Amino acid sequence: MLTSVLRRPQGLSKFYSSQTRPFVPPASLNSFDFRQRQREKPRPTTPTFYTARPEFYDQLSSLESALQYAKTALTTCHLLPLPQFAREALPPRVNAWVDKRELGLKLRSTLTTSRYRRVVLVLNELETYRSIAEKAGIMELQEGIRGITELFERADAATMLARGKAKPVKLDEYGRSYTLGKRKTSSARVWIVPVQQPPVDKSTASQSIPAVTEADSALTALLNPNSSSKSNEAVSVAQILVNNTPLSTYFPIPADRARVIHPIKLAGLLGAYNIFAIVRGGGTSGQSGALAHGIAKGLVAHEPSATTILRKAKLLRRDPRMVERKKPGLAKARKRYAWVKR
Amino acid sequence: MLTLPVRCQRVSCQLLASSSTSPLVQTRSYATQPKKGQIVKQASQGFKGKKNTPPGQMESAKKDKKMMAFQPLPVSQLPHPLFESDRPDSLTLQSFHPEMLTRVVESQALKFPHNDNDPFRIFGLPRNILVEFRLLSKPCSVIRSVTIDAINKLDAASEKNSKESRVVFTGPQGCGKSFLLLQALQYCNARDWLVLYIPRATNLVNSTTAHTYDMRTRTYLQPIFAYQTLQRFLKVNTPRLEQLRTQTGIEIERRHPVPPGTPLVELINIGLKDQGHAPTVLDAVLEEIGKQTIFPVLLAVDDFQALYCKSHYRDQHFSAIKSYHLSMPRLLLEYASGRKSFARGAVFGALSMSNTTFPLPVELREALSLEYDRPYGQYVKRQQELVEYAHGLERLAVPSSLSVSEAASVFEVWMKDRAVPSKPNDELFLTKYSEASGNARAFVWKGLLSSMSA
Repeated sequence: MLTSVLRRPQGLSKFYSSQTRPFVPPASLNSFDFRQRQREKPRPTTPTFYTARPEFYDQLSSLESALQYAKTALTTCHLLPLPQFAREALPPRVNAWVDKRELGLKLRSTLTTSRYRRVVLVLNELETYRSIAEKAGIMELQEGIRGITELFERADAATMLARGKAKPVKLDEYGRSYTLGKRKTSSARVWIVPVQQPPVDKSTASQSIPAVTEADSALTALLNPNSSSKSNEAVSVAQILVNNTPLSTYFPIPADRARVIHPIKLAGLLGAYNIFAIVRGGGTSGQSGALAHGIAKGLVAHEPSATTILRKAKLLRRDPRMVERKKPGLAKARKRYAWVKR
Repeated sequence: MLTLPVRCQRVSCQLLASSSTSPLVQTRSYATQPKKGQIVKQASQGFKGKKNTPPGQMESAKKDKKMMAFQPLPVSQLPHPLFESDRPDSLTLQSFHPEMLTRVVESQALKFPHNDNDPFRIFGLPRNILVEFRLLSKPCSVIRSVTIDAINKLDAASEKNSKESRVVFTGPQGCGKSFLLLQALQYCNARDWLVLYIPRATNLVNSTTAHTYDMRTRTYLQPIFAYQTLQRFLKVNTPRLEQLRTQTGIEIERRHPVPPGTPLVELINIGLKDQGHAPTVLDAVLEEIGKQTIFPVLLAVDDFQALYCKSHYRDQHFSAIKSYHLSMPRLLLEYASGRKSFARGAVFGALSMSNTTFPLPVELREALSLEYDRPYGQYVKRQQELVEYAHGLERLAVPSSLSVSEAASVFEVWMKDRAVPSKPNDELFLTKYSEASGNARAFVWKGLLSSMSA
């Protein structure tokens, strides 16, 4: 560089010089061995060298470039700018990014809140574009963005996002569901298992005949409502055990029994599921309410189609009513002492 | 003639001298039921001495006059079209006939025959069943698998001594023990057995009937109850009793002995003429029919556990009189324990688990090997006499829940009688069946009849 400066001053395209320089004949310089002077410091690899946090800004810039790439890709697909109605149609996404400390470890620099926010902003934008790509069906772009965003997602993102939502009830290896129901101070643990139909032990020869007689008997039953014709179908009945006693023994009051059976009746699953429950706490009506709640949740696990009707009947909701506390100056929660004029 | 004072709501204890009976007859008149329409108020006795009381009335020991509820109105008093009195009766049931009682008619409802000398009408019914039969258009019951079992036992017992066939129906409350006993009773009556039915054994021990101490037997006699029992026994079994005669001579106090070869009907009439002789005559009659082998005998007792409990009678020290010190329960206990027996026949009993004044005692619970409801150790006293009276009783467990077909028949009976207030469809059936866990009483009373649903 020195020789080039000497040989041809930089930037000088003019023939006149504004600055006098001693004339050095070029041939005299041939003897000099102008080795490239070693840099004391290596040439910085990235332009962010001169920033306070080069790694951070590197990562940030790479994220921003990825964002830019995604944006151009979506723009070419005419998906950006997205009209308002389309943006609203996208599923709302609550993001669960790693916290400031974790992100600092990932980006190999300690982060302040404002820097963390900046990164999160970019990540949120990326996530938005990813959801647009997913909705539009552009799988390569979606997977590409996903590859970036999943690096910054929390390990327990699923649990964080599912916070406050009901855990989906799983059936165990025997097909039983286990749910909890509560009402006032009672709690009920409910196991629901489908009733096992007894194996049909008719011979194959008679298999075809019942099909005909069933239709006939149904027809005659419709035409003659007063005639009684018993079909040979086996009716399955549900067994309900509460604290290892049958339902009628545990709840002698008919209202409590009806409350327990109500969710099964609404769902139309009478005789379909056997129920075993352990109830603790409270009194009879609290226990029956808790049991009904547990049964409703269990039935939804087995038959999701019953969700609508049970929700409409407010059986899936934990009844929030609890005993109101006594207040000072009042005899009970609401009862006032007798008013005395003087 | 034994005279009985009839009072209303006043405790009075009168000592009456009577020529025909034992010299001292102590009656607790508050325990007897006042005759309907004749409530005599007692003025203070003072020093007036014995009052002239109306002659002894027939005590309604078995007819429950308090059951005025659930008396259905006659059809003529229901002119409003809402009652649909002109609609034909849709409940068509076959008659309960002994020949048809096989496994084929299981879970089918059959109506009980309507006779003049029907044992139900004469002997009476337990309270719950009485109310149910008043609500239904005709008395009927559903034949269950356990009915066929009981009937098979009866068929086997008809050839054997009653010592070998002493059966007690057990099961939780409302499972159908009393109904099963009724079905057995009707079966035996139709099969030409001699039947003696005590529908409410609690009435023997709850001090509602007069009791008198007898020096000869050293027990408390219950003359009125014995009199009623003889009367009804005679009425139900007249055609069979007319064929029987006494085999030995019978001694009755203050009377010349009854020679052998006397028709049993005549013997019974001796007891009916004088209430004081009734307990002795009843004992003798049962012994005579126990010796003969022409007709098998069925002794059916409902509320069986009441015989093993302490009675509500009090002696002069105010301690409760034991049930085996009363003549009627003692008689039944002796046949139930096998000390006395019929040459051909059986003794059937049905427990009543819903009676809290006469709960199931531990001696009977152990004899029938039933589960304990509370911890009984070896330090709980078991009365040796009751243990011996309960020895050898056989248990027939009535299933706690109706099967689906049986419940369906029960449902159909009530539905066709138009007694179900809700819409009778299969959803109601399954709902009430599940709520009741198959229990018969809960299904009918707390399920079908108690609730209204759209």
